[in-house]
Amino acid sequence: MSSNLFKTTVNEYLESLPKTVQSKLYEAPATCLSIYRLLSPMAKFYIMSMIFNEKPVNLRDLNKWCKPSSRKLEYEALKRLKALHLVEYDNKGSHIRLHSNFRKNFRDCLTGTQKPNAFGSISLTNDKHKVDIKFLDKFASQKWENILHFMVGTESTTTPSKSVLSLLQLGGLMENKNGLSITNSGFQFLLQDVNAQIWTLLLQYLNLTQDLNMDPVDVLNFIFILGSLELGKSYSVSSLSETQRSMLADLRDYGLVYQRSDTSGRFYPTRLATTLTSDSAGLKTPSMAVEQALGEEAEETAQERNIQESIIIETNFKVYAYTNSPLEIAILNLFVHLRTRFANMVCGQITRESIRNALYNGITADQIIKFLDSHAHPQMKLLAKERLDKKIEFDTSNNINTAGGAPQSKNENVISQHKLEIIPPNVLDQIKLWQLELDRIQTFEGYLFKDLANQQEYDILSNYASELGVLIWSDKVKKKFFVTKDGMSQVADFANRKLKR
Amino acid sequence: MLVASKGVLVQCDPSIKALIIQIDSQSPGIILEELDDTHLLIQQDKVEIVKNELNKLLSKNIYDPFEDDSRM
Repeated sequence: MSSNLFKTTVNEYLESLPKTVQSKLYEAPATCLSIYRLLSPMAKFYIMSMIFNEKPVNLRDLNKWCKPSSRKLEYEALKRLKALHLVEYDNKGSHIRLHSNFRKNFRDCLTGTQKPNAFGSISLTNDKHKVDIKFLDKFASQKWENILHFMVGTESTTTPSKSVLSLLQLGGLMENKNGLSITNSGFQFLLQDVNAQIWTLLLQYLNLTQDLNMDPVDVLNFIFILGSLELGKSYSVSSLSETQRSMLADLRDYGLVYQRSDTSGRFYPTRLATTLTSDSAGLKTPSMAVEQALGEEAEETAQERNIQESIIIETNFKVYAYTNSPLEIAILNLFVHLRTRFANMVCGQITRESIRNALYNGITADQIIKFLDSHAHPQMKLLAKERLDKKIEFDTSNNINTAGGAPQSKNENVISQHKLEIIPPNVLDQIKLWQLELDRIQTFEGYLFKDLANQQEYDILSNYASELGVLIWSDKVKKKFFVTKDGMSQVADFANRKLKR
Repeated sequence: MLVASKGVLVQCDPSIKALIIQIDSQSPGIILEELDDTHLLIQQDKVEIVKNELNKLLSKNIYDPFEDDSRM
């Protein structure tokens, strides 16, 4: 979920750029590829269908590419493409075509005819001080963890560089009240996965560069190029522009690239950088990668394994965490009422108030549950596994299904219907209930259509709105329906066209 | 004649709807239209007021185990 969150913010940033900047961006093949990666599958499909087509596509043909039931997807995909100016309409608005620069450069990417240094140029000479992937992973996670630890105020961490500090303040993640302290949004930031965190900082960095008179296009291009570099290879600095060279020092502070010294003629992208724009779940996610990097360290000392998996939750909402990591305690403190702290553990209680506090700060129940799930003590997992095994055994021996739902004669799916429950189910449900309780009302901004002349008119308009996916509520008898703010103009246009006849 | 009126659609349980109607009766001008048992159309700038009032009304009926602790 959080990775979706980050994608929308990157995309929103890109959409908010003026058209001239966007057009300049599409001159770099690496950027075209990265932007393509960030699009939804439907939008990708449209681009793929049009990319080798020299002529503009008739909108009427375009409409036939998807079923009427999927109008909503089409509407969203086209909206995105339009906001990014990846598609252009001709004067009459009846034909659609891809942005010419984008089309050319993206085509070059696909067919491998782009300029040789489009994706950074690999250093050809041998590095005397060669570093391996393991070293890079360690370097990256060390740098990044250091920033996170600094945010929660872990003692004995070295203070990050000035540029990092100003970024944290600019992004509203920390504030200066007699020394730096973390803000609410900073805590939310901690709960996101690493990729989302990096993008949050990079977007702040982009805002900053505009004040420094750096060219945002150059900066963005470099970020996107980083996303398509290969881990463990070194790239030469000389092929970079002046702006990009000055960025290297900053990126080194975040752990995105490794450079042995300021004057070194080569740099290594780390895993944090190379996974910036990858979105396929099949690949290793950056958070997994970093966790794995941590896992390697954990084997060395038993202490650090505890940081990873240390939380026990009882059915009476009591929480015990075997940890002395200030980072983890600080995170726990967000949604647990901590009562006692010992040298190697803390205990506390999950209460309605503690969960509500967390929810007020914008943390969701799912985030809490995910955190508890992934940090559960091995003993909890063992117990959950045993319970699951028992249930399945009971079901198969009695030939029934206790997993809920109607009893089934076939027991093929029995196993898949039971889920591993690490957190006690009653605690899990209660946390979700508390969240539901907080939003007892759901609100939607938009427009209410009423006083329609006849049933037919109502049917036409409301069907159109629901095809677009902007219909929220409708009442056939009263002949009223409600559409979202975004869909208003489209529905109004449609109504004007239809009702004039 | 087709009319489209601007507002905020509120979706809630019938019980919550009753509470909102009560809030409206105390400070009129919030509800634009009652649509059905679970839907209301309200003024756009009154959403926050409604949410705050609802929270106040609802938290009256909640038991907090830690209140007892602190009294002891």
